[in-house]
Amino acid sequence: MKPIVKQSKHLALAGLIAAAMLGGTVSAQTLTMGVRAGPDSMDPHWSTLGGQAEALRHVFDTVVMADDKLQLKPGLAVSWKPVDETTWEFKIRQGVKFHDGSELTAEDVKFSIDRIPVVTGPMSMTIYTKQVRDTRVVDKYTLHVRTKAAAPTLPNDFIRLFVVPKSIGMEARNEQFNSGKAAIGTGPYRFVSWAPKGDMVMKRFDGYWGEKQHWEQVIRKEIPSDPARMAALKSGQVDLVNYVPATDYASLQRDKSVDTFIADTVYILNITPNVKETLPKPVKVDGKEIAANPLRDARVREAMDLAIDRRTLVRIVLEGLGRPANQLMPANFFGGSKNLPERPFDVNKAKQLLTEAGYPKGFEIDFFCTNNRLPGDSAVCEALSQMWARAGLKVNANALNGTVFFPAQQKGEYSLWMSGWGTLTGEASYTYGSLVHTADAAMGLGAFNKQGYSNPAVDKLLEEGSRTMDDNKRRALFEKASELSMTDRALIPTVQLQTIWASKAGMMTIPARMDQETLAYEIKPKR
Amino acid sequence: MISFFIQRLLQAVLVVVAMSMLVFVGVYAIGNPIDVMIDPASSQALRESLIQRYGFDRPLYAQYFIFMGNLLQGDMGESFIYRLPVFGLIFSRLPATLELAVSAMLIATLLGIPLGIWAGYKPDAVSSKVIMGVSVLGFSVPTFWVGLLLIMGFAVELRWLPSGGRGPVTELLGMKLSIGSWEGLSHLVLPAFNLALFKLGLLIRLARAGTVEVMSSDYVRFARAQGLSESKVLGLHVLKNISIPIVTVFGLEFGSTLAFAVVTETVFNWPGMGKLIIDSITVLDRPVMVAYLVLVVVLFVLINFVVDLIYGQLDPRIRIKAAQ
Repeated sequence: MKPIVKQSKHLALAGLIAAAMLGGTVSAQTLTMGVRAGPDSMDPHWSTLGGQAEALRHVFDTVVMADDKLQLKPGLAVSWKPVDETTWEFKIRQGVKFHDGSELTAEDVKFSIDRIPVVTGPMSMTIYTKQVRDTRVVDKYTLHVRTKAAAPTLPNDFIRLFVVPKSIGMEARNEQFNSGKAAIGTGPYRFVSWAPKGDMVMKRFDGYWGEKQHWEQVIRKEIPSDPARMAALKSGQVDLVNYVPATDYASLQRDKSVDTFIADTVYILNITPNVKETLPKPVKVDGKEIAANPLRDARVREAMDLAIDRRTLVRIVLEGLGRPANQLMPANFFGGSKNLPERPFDVNKAKQLLTEAGYPKGFEIDFFCTNNRLPGDSAVCEALSQMWARAGLKVNANALNGTVFFPAQQKGEYSLWMSGWGTLTGEASYTYGSLVHTADAAMGLGAFNKQGYSNPAVDKLLEEGSRTMDDNKRRALFEKASELSMTDRALIPTVQLQTIWASKAGMMTIPARMDQETLAYEIKPKR
Repeated sequence: MISFFIQRLLQAVLVVVAMSMLVFVGVYAIGNPIDVMIDPASSQALRESLIQRYGFDRPLYAQYFIFMGNLLQGDMGESFIYRLPVFGLIFSRLPATLELAVSAMLIATLLGIPLGIWAGYKPDAVSSKVIMGVSVLGFSVPTFWVGLLLIMGFAVELRWLPSGGRGPVTELLGMKLSIGSWEGLSHLVLPAFNLALFKLGLLIRLARAGTVEVMSSDYVRFARAQGLSESKVLGLHVLKNISIPIVTVFGLEFGSTLAFAVVTETVFNWPGMGKLIIDSITVLDRPVMVAYLVLVVVLFVLINFVVDLIYGQLDPRIRIKAAQ
């Protein structure tokens, strides 16, 4: 079998030389990406899954796009502005072609918005259109979107609003998309083939409205197992891999045949103390259960915070791949606070606070977290329980599979837990509205506030912010809400995670995207 | 013969019913699949509407009867995750697993039985000691680790073979198989060998134990006294008499290789059924879990049926008993 591999190498080399001789900067190159997760369907309106959006961005464009720091930039809409309290006007880009040659108009955008509630699956895309009441096509390139209430964050929601042509009709479902019949977008690559959990193959779309693409063919190979993905890179089967495990990072840095790229992510591991009147499972003092919930005492929460040595968490537990966090999202995001200090580490003060709160001997509590959702989640979890032990608390860490963790957390079975949260929209209302606003089904806020935290002052700021169309005023309101809830320790942020890509040496530059997306059209060849 | 088959079929139906109930109760005990699948930013109202749409708000027995009703009409349902008919989804992955499992069994059988007979024939030879040593390694070293070693050695260092994935497929015997091309075969070698290793060890030991026992029996002595050549004694008398336990184990192992090749599939990123089922379990995609397990039950019943038929062929005494 050896000759075959050699032969294909020679062929590739020959192809490279031929392309170089033709002198074009755009050569017939294939980019093979080994990625951890892939889409569930070729229908861009089927699921909100991260791997889904990442894969389909190659084929379909969104109305608004996000740069590598998750701040908004024009996509299929060149501009957008509110025309009144509840109406947004989107100017649609002119001269954009779908892969079938037809031209994009405001009708297609309207169709895409209307289509989402009809076809979306269990990971419902309606979270991105929930603010929309109706849409009106003003002219060929102008769309008015009326919202149910003032919706200043509508453009953020439209980062995930993929546009499909109206001509595919309302009947097209996953099967038509997977076969390629309906998988027609305006994106830089046209769909060639895909099967669930298999390779996704794409060809460059030469009529693309944006920057000319370097890679002629892109193959997304789904390789969920970390060692298998790393082996595929080292054996030359793929040109790049994402989600390099922290344990491989050190050895890769010494490996001359591989380049690595590192980026901050939007994911922060947060500890959530349950502050309800009674805990689902009472804490124990001296081995006896007590009725009171110590986590309701702000001094206890502060003590737990002070006992965390975030630098050690980053340096030792995460092998340097993270940053200490002091709020639920990176400070430079819209509504993040720059006034919050770095969280101090002080075990003695933690002990003193516990004594003041009436727990000189500490207490015993169960602590839950995931073990397979984010890099280092279970390691951080176990390290935390040891750090708390030094402050006199007996914390039983339980790292569970997400399949078990999430339903139980949703049912309110945990007293103290840690989970990751990623502010994928790049602004505060998404995170603080879900995690710290009082749980209120009617308002659609606090959906993930399972800890029973409720602060009227924070609620008021968040509600006012969600109504305020003026960017500067809204930013100030959210900053205040961040500061208030973080000083309250509604949740206790620990570390912000980082992510790594690795590629064949000298072949390309991979942009450090905070959303960790691996986008072939943003990967530039090294010359 | 036919009554025997019908009896087996009835058993299979009972097992399928019991197993589907177990899956339903199991998933129900873990929690609501919606909580695993739903996007973090969803509101409570959306969560409830989804739960209603998928019928998770109904009592467990009602969900089960709806499922059984559809099943009797031949509808196994659609995957929650892919919204594709589950049987289509599983059968699209079946050829990959089938060719992997068959190749692994072939390697194990064609290598294992001759080596085992040799080790039993010359139990004191150095070569036999080496063979037995290898067989111990075969089933005591974890597949996962051996797989990684194979990748490191043959794919990363030597670069002779690809590190994983499946090669180009061609239409063969009505299935999309990768054994039709050299590149496809080169992708198959490492995973098939990795999967075969455990079975290889097992078959070597079975064949050896059988041979040692049979070699000291009277009929082997008589066969030798008759002046038959050693190869004839081994090939005719010994092989036939050690076959029954080997066929039994072969059948069982083939079934479990088909159904649970998941470790090898994961290490080598082989797009087979094992990976599909593991992914489905992590997202509680119940229709796929149930359909897959139904298929596994049917597979086992079929394989055991074939094994019973082969017994009859190998040992006339069993045929006579069945006839009576």
